[in-house]
Amino acid sequence: MGRHRDHLVEGIDPHLFVEEHSPAQESASRPVLLLHGFASSTKLNWQDTGWIRALTEAGRRVITVDLPGHGNSASPEERDAYAPSRIRADLLQLLQDSHVIPLDDATPDSGVDIIGYSLGSRLAWEFGATQPELVHRMVLGGPGSADPLADFDLAAAQRHLTDGTPVEDASTADLLRMARMVPSHDVFALLTMVEAIKGEPFTAAEAVPHMPLLLVAGENDDRAATMPDLAALSDRTETLWLPGRTHTNAITSRAFKKAAIDFLNA
Amino acid sequence: MAELSFPLPDLGEGLIEATVLEWLVAVGDTVERNQPLVEVETTKSAVELPSPQAGVVVRVHGEPGETVLVGDPLIVFEVPDNTAGIVGTVPQEQAPKRRVRLSPVDDDDD
Repeated sequence: MGRHRDHLVEGIDPHLFVEEHSPAQESASRPVLLLHGFASSTKLNWQDTGWIRALTEAGRRVITVDLPGHGNSASPEERDAYAPSRIRADLLQLLQDSHVIPLDDATPDSGVDIIGYSLGSRLAWEFGATQPELVHRMVLGGPGSADPLADFDLAAAQRHLTDGTPVEDASTADLLRMARMVPSHDVFALLTMVEAIKGEPFTAAEAVPHMPLLLVAGENDDRAATMPDLAALSDRTETLWLPGRTHTNAITSRAFKKAAIDFLNA
Repeated sequence: MAELSFPLPDLGEGLIEATVLEWLVAVGDTVERNQPLVEVETTKSAVELPSPQAGVVVRVHGEPGETVLVGDPLIVFEVPDNTAGIVGTVPQEQAPKRRVRLSPVDDDDD
């Protein structure tokens, strides 16, 4: 059941598209929040890849949200709507709207687990660090200690969109290719998000989550090459490398899903 | 028993092929409808394809790393005879033969 949440955070309605997916059988386990990656969406990152089915069949209630400028969410014009700090505030509000209550040992469905991928992992890392009373465990896919979006060459991307000048930086070119791949995505909204992220780049050591973490990436995932640095920051971290997988195709991996579900249920 | 073959479905957005990443079922497995069958990767994304059919897997087409074209055979199931015709797919050997022409045909014999 999709809804555009209508609560205001700092006086502005973010028009985020939120859905809740019921477990196959009634269960008393806490919900799982899924955070998709840059230029992806709930549909591409979690639905078409089989994650929502795998989690609901494992008895988990799943909460999904399309990030601003992505999927079915609105594409606001103002840069602040895309700032990671603002998105964290919106996530907190949507969890409250979904009746997630603070962790309490006596209540098995209290709190929330989070699974993130790529940019979603960065957002989860910071959210978990700032909301320890709410977040139980997290699985971070395709994560790195640095933020590829922070090094994005915005000027080159804008030149390319204006007159076709080739983008020299390979990472920028690849991210721009991803941003333009989904016809429904507004590439200018995505560039506004890049701008906002450059204003708040990822500094993993600044706020470290202390709940148990599982970090997962494809062996051939260049964007997650710094995953061990991230793992070293927290003392309750497990890592899993998926043989032969890349940043794009690690996401469907059955081994990834199984490890995530087992880790969250532990 | 009858065999029922399913092609790689249209994955949208003008995609014409996909690369097999990993089969989630093997020959001889009994699968249920909507059970995940295979992970494939296109130039745009990776997806998990659910089974359109319940049955026993007879053949799969495409080793991991191999490319399958949209419309080419992906998997073949063995199903009870009486279910082969009711899943919205007409078995090849029973393809309709009668054709209806919607435009007049010019007579060649004048």
